Amino acid sequence: MVACAAFVGCNDDFPGKPNPADRPLPQNEITDFATLFAQNCTGCHGADGELGPAPPLNDPLFLALIPDETLHAVIRDGRPGTPMPAFAAERGGTLSTEQVKIIAAGLKSHWPADKTEEVSDAAIVADAPPYLSSATILQLTPGATDQASTLFERACAECHSPNGAGGETGYASGGAINDRAFLALISDQALRRIIITGRHDLGMPNYAAPDGRPEDFKPLTSAEIDELVALLASWRRGDAAAGDAGK
Amino acid sequence: MNAPLPSSGKQLCPGGKPPRRAFFRLLTGALGAAATGLLTLPMLGYFFGRRHRPAMWVPMGDLSDFPLNETRTINFDNPLRQPWDGMTSMTGVHVRYQGKNDAGDEQFLVLAANCAHLGCPVSWFPQSGLFMCPCHGGVYYENGERASGPPPRGLFHCVWRVKEGKLEIEAPHYPTLHDTLTESLES
Amino acid sequence: MYQLLRKLAHWIDARAGVSATLWPMMRHPVPRSIDGPMGWWYVFGSASMTFLLIQILTGIGLSMVYVPAADQAYESLLYLDYQQPWGWFLRSLHYYAGSGMVVMLLVHMTQVFLQGSYKYPRELTWVVGVLLLACTMGMFFTGQILRWDTDAYWGLAVGASMAGRVPVLGPEIVHTLLGGDIIGASSLSRFFALHVFIIPGALLTFLGIHLWLVLRCGISAPPKPGEIVDPKTYDATYHEELKRGVPFFGDALLKDIFFSALAVTIVVVIAAVVGPKGPTEPPDPTLAGANPRPEWPFLWLFGLLSLSPPAIETFIMLVFPVLVLGALFFVPFVSNRGERAPSRRPAAVLLVIVIYTTLGVLTYEGVQAPWSPVMDAWSGDPVPVNLVEGRTPLELQGAAVFQFKNCRNCHALEGIGGRRGPDLTTIGASLTRDQLITQISNGTPGGGNMPAYGKQMSPAEMEATVAFLISLRPDGQLPAGAVEDAPVEGTTPQPVELTE
Ligand code: FES
Repeated sequence: MVACAAFVGCNDDFPGKPNPADRPLPQNEITDFATLFAQNCTGCHGADGELGPAPPLNDPLFLALIPDETLHAVIRDGRPGTPMPAFAAERGGTLSTEQVKIIAAGLKSHWPADKTEEVSDAAIVADAPPYLSSATILQLTPGATDQASTLFERACAECHSPNGAGGETGYASGGAINDRAFLALISDQALRRIIITGRHDLGMPNYAAPDGRPEDFKPLTSAEIDELVALLASWRRGDAAAGDAGK
Repeated sequence: MNAPLPSSGKQLCPGGKPPRRAFFRLLTGALGAAATGLLTLPMLGYFFGRRHRPAMWVPMGDLSDFPLNETRTINFDNPLRQPWDGMTSMTGVHVRYQGKNDAGDEQFLVLAANCAHLGCPVSWFPQSGLFMCPCHGGVYYENGERASGPPPRGLFHCVWRVKEGKLEIEAPHYPTLHDTLTESLES
Repeated sequence: MYQLLRKLAHWIDARAGVSATLWPMMRHPVPRSIDGPMGWWYVFGSASMTFLLIQILTGIGLSMVYVPAADQAYESLLYLDYQQPWGWFLRSLHYYAGSGMVVMLLVHMTQVFLQGSYKYPRELTWVVGVLLLACTMGMFFTGQILRWDTDAYWGLAVGASMAGRVPVLGPEIVHTLLGGDIIGASSLSRFFALHVFIIPGALLTFLGIHLWLVLRCGISAPPKPGEIVDPKTYDATYHEELKRGVPFFGDALLKDIFFSALAVTIVVVIAAVVGPKGPTEPPDPTLAGANPRPEWPFLWLFGLLSLSPPAIETFIMLVFPVLVLGALFFVPFVSNRGERAPSRRPAAVLLVIVIYTTLGVLTYEGVQAPWSPVMDAWSGDPVPVNLVEGRTPLELQGAAVFQFKNCRNCHALEGIGGRRGPDLTTIGASLTRDQLITQISNGTPGGGNMPAYGKQMSPAEMEATVAFLISLRPDGQLPAGAVEDAPVEGTTPQPVELTE
């Protein structure tokens, strides 16, 4: 009798007893970074934030350089004209203001720090050019074009061939970056970011790595990166002079 | 009339039923019918009747909230609700500002979120400019026209107006194929 | 004490006549062979009834906590799941016993059909049985609505939209069904009334008639090949058989009890181990990410509707169910005489096999639902790593555009993603650049499954996407249309060697 009463009274701990923690949350109430990241970012940036078609987010150099507000703004507003969409509901996306904040904040703390040593050491982070360019307008004067082409030859041509038409080795063999469709779909800022951080997941060296570059290669400075971006931008516009760059 | 009363009780009414009894039957029938009618009509009214209300207008926001040729999803509490509807009466519509027409009037496109196929909620994908339905794969273009899949028509249009610098729509009922939201305009 | 109770019982019985009427019913004779192993075929009907009993008990229990009001129903479900002692178990049991009831009804019906028990004089018993099946399905549908979550909301929406397709009367029917202009409080209350009063009332009435008919017509003897049912002679033969019969209240009943007890045990264990179904997300129709699915007894209908061409869809929604019901009603009138043994009725056996195979396939399709786009595949399903490695910047950008333009919602890569359109993992080997551009720009001709993307993509986006798609082909294979040694468009994927 007593056992029965006890049974009725409290003990309903069977495997089928639902756990409040497993309750399905409405999409707009999800606040867990990992879930939000998996649902919204992995499609392009890869399952673990790398090895996706879009630049890796699981990149200590990138995460160290990008200012918090910029990261937040890019997630909120997207990069118009490129495949980075706006995620904030008020910009036509699906995430609440809160959720955008959670993703932006979570990115910086999500991947454990020991990966930093693996991929790039602290000095590289410390010496890196700023994420945002200080130059307001990137314009190449005719003289500067030659200078930029020389720079391109030293820093990029080993893999992408002197005129950017693609080479045989390294990240994306035949990796043409003078393709106007490609350039049309990537912003100047994204170009700058990739030149600085490289793509460690696909073997592209960062701004300082010596891989495949001349013996006397020195880490690229912010101004040099501006020049390279300006050169690429001129290819995007299809400037006659730039089209023959390096030929 | 002068015939003697029959000795047997069974023979009380020779030559047919007495008019009294026939009348009583008729009366019972009639009263029964009346009672049934009295009972049924209000019941039918209760079950099948419609509550008539004047059109209700719901504000969607200032005109400036809607950038040109962009689609925004607006969620609002449908005034056709009952007080104890809870979150169920929340309704979403997709609003697109299409600029001014030749006469200088603002042009809006307000689309109901219910798929024209079987009513599932379509989602707006700004990247590809398409609405997609999760149920049977209906797809619509940004102007609400059917793009592919089983829907027999485009998305339902809501009735809208601009009043004092604000966009308003007529509170939408649940739209179905033969009961669209623009019926009042078309007829 | 015992003496007193006996006296009381006698006193009541003398006035109510319980033993005089019920006892003969319980002792009614059944054919002798039911007492043998063949008797195991006769246990499914009573098992359905046992489940019905559980449904009534758990249903009454649930109704003491559940609030049938749109603004509180969801909360009361959460309360049942997490607060009320054993509340989760009652919900769980109510679901699985209901499912068990549907299963048992189907088995019972199949057995009756295969063994020809519906033939003379039991036609009416069958017809009432069909009504019982209809009621049970009605209970399942209305019950799903009472689980007032997103699925319930959209299930109701789909049901209303189907009803709305009825010519002329459609809008009125929808309004009556929903109890108002929108899906809301009145809709829930209506379905509560249906689930708790109207359909159970009908169900119990039909059940009473069904049982009465079973008693009146007797339980059919297990069929023997060559034993022909002929309405002229059947009654006399059956009467003879019953003279040699055994009372129902005896070993025949023992089998029923044994099987019912087994079925109940199984269902209780399932309920305790698997736990209650839902509720899923709250019933807020503006929540993103809704992905409504019907309950399992209706998955086949979901499959059928999704696979049928739009032109006959309305027919399938509105006329087909009536036809199915009508066909079931007519079964005993098409053949109420002749052989009963399944071995002599190959057409009947074949029919059963065909019907169950069809239902099975449609249900499988309904579970898979390949016609439904995966709404968050574009942002949540990563591009497979080996389709990323070794790609040119343009191809990579194309892959990003492929995701960005939501192509992935309908097209899988390496099996992951939507399955409405073909998997594109090796598309570069089968479509040429021109074919790809045409397909993407125009979609499926005539408004088929693929929307036209021509206006939705910039030239650069098209260029990049096509470059990516051309690069999708098995190692070493040339792009479609390319000739060996001719200059190759795009590049052959090669495993990337990390230079570090
Ligand atoms: S409900 Fe949208 S496609 Fe069927």
